[in-house]
Amino acid sequence: MVGICRTRLAEERKQWRKDHPFGFYAKPVKSADGSMNLLEWEVGIPGKAGTPWEGGLYKLTMTFPEDYPSKPPKCKFTPPLFHPNVFPSGTVCLSILDEEKSWKPAITIKQILLGIQDLLDDPNVNDPAQSDAYAMFKHRNDKVAYERRIKQQARENIPK
Amino acid sequence: MSSDNDYDYSDDDGEYYYDDDEDMMSTQEDEDSASSDDGMDMDEFGDDFKVPQRSARKTYEIEYDSLPQSAVEKLMSNDIEHISGIFGVEASLASLLLRYMRWNKERLIEKYMDNASAVTVAAGISPPSRASPSALGPDRSQGSSSSARTSGLRRTARQTSAPLKAKPQPSICPICFDDTQALFSALACDHTFCSGCWTAYITSKIREEGEHAIRCMAEGCALVAPDPFVRSALADDPETWERFNELLVRHFVASNPNLKYCPYPSCTYTVSCPTAASKSALTTVVPIVTCGADANPPHRFCFGCPIESDHRPVICPVARMWLRKCRDDSETANWIKSNTKECSRCQSTIEKNGGCNHMTCKKCKHEFCWVCMGPWSEHGTAWYSCNRYDEKAGVDARDAQSKSRASLERYLHYYNRWANHEQSAKLSVELYAKTEKKMEEMQVTSNLTWIEVQFMKKAVDEVFKCRMTLKWTYAMAYYLEKGNQKELFEDNQRDLERAVEDLSELLESQIEPEIIPTLRQKVTDKTQVYVSKRNEIMLEDTAKGFLEGRWRWNVPVEGFD
Repeated sequence: MVGICRTRLAEERKQWRKDHPFGFYAKPVKSADGSMNLLEWEVGIPGKAGTPWEGGLYKLTMTFPEDYPSKPPKCKFTPPLFHPNVFPSGTVCLSILDEEKSWKPAITIKQILLGIQDLLDDPNVNDPAQSDAYAMFKHRNDKVAYERRIKQQARENIPK
Repeated sequence: MSSDNDYDYSDDDGEYYYDDDEDMMSTQEDEDSASSDDGMDMDEFGDDFKVPQRSARKTYEIEYDSLPQSAVEKLMSNDIEHISGIFGVEASLASLLLRYMRWNKERLIEKYMDNASAVTVAAGISPPSRASPSALGPDRSQGSSSSARTSGLRRTARQTSAPLKAKPQPSICPICFDDTQALFSALACDHTFCSGCWTAYITSKIREEGEHAIRCMAEGCALVAPDPFVRSALADDPETWERFNELLVRHFVASNPNLKYCPYPSCTYTVSCPTAASKSALTTVVPIVTCGADANPPHRFCFGCPIESDHRPVICPVARMWLRKCRDDSETANWIKSNTKECSRCQSTIEKNGGCNHMTCKKCKHEFCWVCMGPWSEHGTAWYSCNRYDEKAGVDARDAQSKSRASLERYLHYYNRWANHEQSAKLSVELYAKTEKKMEEMQVTSNLTWIEVQFMKKAVDEVFKCRMTLKWTYAMAYYLEKGNQKELFEDNQRDLERAVEDLSELLESQIEPEIIPTLRQKVTDKTQVYVSKRNEIMLEDTAKGFLEGRWRWNVPVEGFD
């Protein structure tokens, strides 16, 4: 799949502009010289309505390796997010983003972003990536504190 | 696996013939020279050592087969044919079913007869939606029930049987969006992608992830590519196809407790050893095997545990226990022994790194004298010179102390001997080089030919082998319960050790041209008659002891009551 990385990303961009889920955005970054860098995208994922994440728009950068789509892109919240499955660096831990687990070359950017949106309010306790959020989420008596923290984070991420 | 025994025997025979020849050659010479010797050794062992024991397998040797990859592939295809015949499905699908069930035929047959469609779906052969209606559908009322149950599979079998078949081009490949691609293909799920993407994907799965279950490229689709599909995707890449087959063989071997892959790097041989396949068997046999690869030194390893060398005569659980103990203890034990004492009340280990002899245990606050270990209260103000040596409390404290020291002492006794033999064996590389030089010298200074000086090399080989045995006897002795049996064991150990050290010394001695004939005779006698016989006795008796359940341990050992 060498060499198809850019073709595929250009197509992904076309598809995204044609149609994308409400509240999301995704676009390749501009290099210093004004040209478009298809290998790095800036995206925003809105919190789902009816969850403590509602109202926030969470910023993420997607970095595509040269052997994409054989290998998945790396998705990193900027700044890092308070969430059990987000590493302190901001990198998202999700099975569809792991080539040894569920990553498939046919997975689109849209599917990835929807997958991450689902993960926000439905963390996977079997795959903790940061101790703070994990500890708070796992202990039931901290549930209230956890939600308060999430709501606080949503307020900090209200789009301007 | 009985059908493959022939293979092994012929292999072994070859080896034995070779040994016999060598033995015969040197024994003849021994006889000539033995008359001048005092003959003590010869009298004792002369009668049987000349007879090569090729008839019966020795107690300490285990029966096993060594299989090259092709032989394992044959075993796999036998299983596949068997299943394919019973279920009436294509071989490639039977293979997927077997891989899914980790090559457990009985379980596969049972599960498949119970619910064919569920198994077919779980094995990644047919998509869930399609398999269920056909397997439970109307055809069940017609025809025999078995054909109805497998019909779901049959249909998919037809679909996947033509790999990489050009499909009616739906649109553009959703992975590369390359509109120049003309060939498309899909698994039974009909998720169609261009062949270029398939090939790249399959190659990366095999080469980078070492994965043999290659699932469809569509999101969440669990279908596995059958072998013909993989093969045609790799039509131009025989190397990757070969790697794929190697991965399958590895999976087969890993799934079968009777088989073990040779652990040596890039060796593709497999050893079959049903005798040692169960955990309980490992309490009575030490399954040291050698794979059939033509390597020097041969690939010898233990079938029962991950130790990649010969740990006879000790059984796996004890050998493992010992290695663990050594890893945990030996580094620190020596230091502890020479630098610390235990608090006479709470037994915490204390290092005295300065100050006076009035010690206060950090843990239990016990105050005591470092010299006599007695409580400080009995000392009054007599610091620096401990004059309370005979006080009862001091004696008691020293008793407790000496007990714990004794156990450390005991461990170090065995460990040091173990490590010593290991060290000597490691130095054997040097000894080989030295010996080779001596052998060359001998050829120059005496009339001996190359063949005739081989006795030196043989002796070095024997010393190395025996040191390995000795090394492990110390691990065994450490765990053996005190008693007559242990004494007998240690007698054998002592005899072997003495014999080995004698021979070792001879090998290290200076070579003067005039003593070469005597040296040669002595070394040959010692090697063949005494040392190898002693080693034999050690191994044989220990192995018999395991079979007879003669050995008792001073600690609980895995697999023993």
